[in-house]
Amino acid sequence: MFKRFLHNKTAVITTALILAIAVLGILAPWIAPNDPYENDIINKFAAFSLEYPLGTDHLGRCVLSRMLFGIRPTLGLAALTMIGTIGLGALMGLLAGHFGGIVDEVIMRVVDVMLSFPSQIMVFAVVALLGIDVRNVILANVFIKWAWYARMIRTGVVQYRDRNFVLFSRCVGMPEHFILFRHLLPSIAADLAVLSSLDIGWAIINISTLSFLGLGVQAPIPEWGAMLNEAKNVLTTNPVQMLTPGIAIVAVVTAFNLLGDALRDVLDPKETQV
Amino acid sequence: MKQYIMKRILLTIPLLICISFVCFVFINLIPSDPAEVALRVRQVPVITDEAIAEVREELGLDKPYLVRYAGWVADCLRGDFGISYTNPSRTVAGELARCLPATLQLAGTSLILVILLSLPIGFLCAVYRNSWFDKIIRMLVFMTTAMPAYWIGLLLMWLVAIKLDLLPTSGSGTFSHLILPAVTVSFTYISTYIRLIRNNMLENMKQDYVLYANVRGIPQKKILIGHILRNSLHTCFVAIGMSIPQLIAGTIVVENVFAWPGLGTLCITSIFNRDYPVIQTYVLLIGVLFVVFNLIFDILQTVADPRLRKEAS
Repeated sequence: MFKRFLHNKTAVITTALILAIAVLGILAPWIAPNDPYENDIINKFAAFSLEYPLGTDHLGRCVLSRMLFGIRPTLGLAALTMIGTIGLGALMGLLAGHFGGIVDEVIMRVVDVMLSFPSQIMVFAVVALLGIDVRNVILANVFIKWAWYARMIRTGVVQYRDRNFVLFSRCVGMPEHFILFRHLLPSIAADLAVLSSLDIGWAIINISTLSFLGLGVQAPIPEWGAMLNEAKNVLTTNPVQMLTPGIAIVAVVTAFNLLGDALRDVLDPKETQV
Repeated sequence: MKQYIMKRILLTIPLLICISFVCFVFINLIPSDPAEVALRVRQVPVITDEAIAEVREELGLDKPYLVRYAGWVADCLRGDFGISYTNPSRTVAGELARCLPATLQLAGTSLILVILLSLPIGFLCAVYRNSWFDKIIRMLVFMTTAMPAYWIGLLLMWLVAIKLDLLPTSGSGTFSHLILPAVTVSFTYISTYIRLIRNNMLENMKQDYVLYANVRGIPQKKILIGHILRNSLHTCFVAIGMSIPQLIAGTIVVENVFAWPGLGTLCITSIFNRDYPVIQTYVLLIGVLFVVFNLIFDILQTVADPRLRKEAS
């Protein structure tokens, strides 16, 4: 499978791009040319130069440095959201699919109600309830998204539950947790990888939207959505300000979307036979 | 048939109860005491423990949870959603009624745009698949799914309103104010529906009835419009109908970019002001709209499609 991954150009290029961006974010304190918080009001809206490669913003802060530091909340929060969502969704889905009966019934009815709410409104409602804070944004996203994963994973588990290798395993007396984590989870891992790489793009957009509205990451912390919010105020005089963060968001989300599509091609068993 | 519709309507009742219960629990989870808040709203200068106990009794807060829930639902059914925390002279119902027309106007215009643009483009993409037109559109569709709506709004605002100076940047009132927000809202939905219609038509083209129509020697044009498009329209009609509440909810971000005085702006302002009754009612409203629109279009689909009708009865 790894070989096929290497043969898929899109998958390799997008993975490399995403990893490169992540490394840039991790190394931000060492490679950023300037302090992302340092004001220099005389130098505001400076053009591209050697000292400020991407110019400066309305407070004279280095845009490139802010972009580099902005990778951390943008990618980091999205990753945290996905870990939380998949963790909770997988747990619920495995429980529902594996045990069936009343557990299944209760979990799936909760999932039905969750899915009948419009997701965007629920994010706003949860943030409103818990207060404006980054932690609450992640909680809100996990809270509304886990149901999709729970349903998908349950379908997968039900599909594999009565396969012969699972029945055999149970027959020779393997404990339940072994069946759950060694048989059922790996069987659905491929679907999970595709869905989550497509969804991480959604998470990035969602978190940046909340930051843009002022409900997520708060100023002066550099985050791409929050930077766009600041750029909005100077739209008339300095429209260039909104280009850099916007293009960065589109590039990262596109990379994740392409990766998801490529993973689907790589992991799709139907393609193997051709 | 009648039986199916009745069953479908009855099935939504538990869902509505769940949604309203979640909304009710929502306001009871907030960190502040409702009795204390009510006193503040009435601008009582000194809040004593006795006063809180009195208000508690008056508002029925000392009653059991389920009794209060029933009372709240009864109030909601009568259209009484309580009073705004930040502005005690205004009722929540009044606030929502004030903002609703602007949002409906925006969502309605977007819906028309979505239908007018995505149908012909999706149709052409399917007919001339893998042509340069199809490839360009597919690339554009892929790009727009990666663009946050607010950024599209900012770009449009800069290009059309500031650079070209054709339309006003924000506010509302005239038709020219409406164009930019409506285009922004419809942007993401158009790409979704182009893809839906294209894939649906391609799927239909593989069906046996198309082969049969070809064998009979019916002209291509007639097969495309009379058979394939007609069948695809069924699915798309239902999908678009079910997304109407999503469109209404989706205006929340765009309204804030363009300072459009609708429900979205009201909702965000209420979040900043911790005006819980307004948020609660907004969530309840959108949730109920979701259920109702799903129900209506589900039934319409069954009525319109003979295959599903057979299954239902």
